Amino acid sequence: MYNSLTRIQNVFGFFTTVAFVVAAFIAASDFTYDRTPSAHVKTTNVQVVKGRPHYYSTKKEEYAIMKFSLDADLSSLFTWNTKQVFVYVTAEWTNPPFGEITNSAVIWDTIITTPSSDHLANIGPATMKKLRKSAAGKPVDPKRGLLSLKNQRPKYQITHPTGRIAETSDVRLRVHYNVQPWVGFLTWSQTEHDFGRWMRMKDGLSRAFTLPAVKRKDEGKKAKA
Amino acid sequence: MLAGLQNPRQLAAQVLNFGLILSTAFMMWKGLSVISDSPSPIVVVLSGSMEPAFQRGDLLFLWNRNLLSETDVGEVVVYNVKDKDIPIVHRVVRKFGIGDHAKLLTKGDNNAADDTELYARGQDYLERKDIIGSVFAYIPFVGYVTIMLSEHPWLKTVMLGIMGLLVVLQRE
Repeated sequence: MYNSLTRIQNVFGFFTTVAFVVAAFIAASDFTYDRTPSAHVKTTNVQVVKGRPHYYSTKKEEYAIMKFSLDADLSSLFTWNTKQVFVYVTAEWTNPPFGEITNSAVIWDTIITTPSSDHLANIGPATMKKLRKSAAGKPVDPKRGLLSLKNQRPKYQITHPTGRIAETSDVRLRVHYNVQPWVGFLTWSQTEHDFGRWMRMKDGLSRAFTLPAVKRKDEGKKAKA
Repeated sequence: MLAGLQNPRQLAAQVLNFGLILSTAFMMWKGLSVISDSPSPIVVVLSGSMEPAFQRGDLLFLWNRNLLSETDVGEVVVYNVKDKDIPIVHRVVRKFGIGDHAKLLTKGDNNAADDTELYARGQDYLERKDIIGSVFAYIPFVGYVTIMLSEHPWLKTVMLGIMGLLVVLQRE
């Protein structure tokens, strides 16, 4: 019964088994690395303006624009099985009848690729050249996990489904991350509990603040001064 | 060659064997479906909207139970839009409210705009019931064969033919 067909079948079967076992080991190796992420975030300038959801809309909504400063050390998240780290900052607030966080919206995010996944990033050729040069010869570059943003403009201006967001109190910014592996489990920042060698995010939550009233047009110049 | 055709007992055994393989695969799929509470516990990435995290052909494992916490902002979810058949893999970027009727907004990491345009007419947000699972594990590239099969239908015929031939020719 040893014809070439069964041989091909056996080789293919053995290949897939070996590939999956190796992949499983790589995935499991994630748990052997320490993770000690920390972040410090604070708002620098918060405004609420009136606007429309898109150009053709007649609906007027209030949009919160939260500028912030962020210092984060996520370098321990970069290991040989890290494909990218997705870092995002959310604004979160509660609605009075509930005690827990009921609203949460991403105001800023970034994708940090690892040198071996740089070629997949969706960036222009000049930026790509610079990025690849910054880590020439390095398969893993933990330095990319160091973030330092000063008075960063938010990428997303947020509103609430009701269209009203001005004067909301007890809003906080929180820093999160999502580690995307080459193979294995996707993992997110832990806010409350340590998990084995993975520490929870140190700090990473801003002080509570209250959104201001809607900025009127005639006030614009005064506010800037 | 074609021994099965001369021996009906052997032919029957081979047909049963083939049926057993098919039903085992089917039951494993349905078993995973029950465990993860998702109609489709494993999906293949079809678009590049989540690059560089997921490329076309990557395999994603889904989990659709909220045992410890609700589906939250930052999770990568697979959802179906009303009246559209294609499941979409994107990240939740906003959540308003809690419970089954919380309003969820999604966006692809690689897209400039959020998914409002992809939703059904008049739909601004997703609800929990639109989501068929959150991605919890990832294997690259393995699913590419299904993309090949759906984009080049003749491959299906070829593969079925080879499989059928193997079953008939196999002696054990």
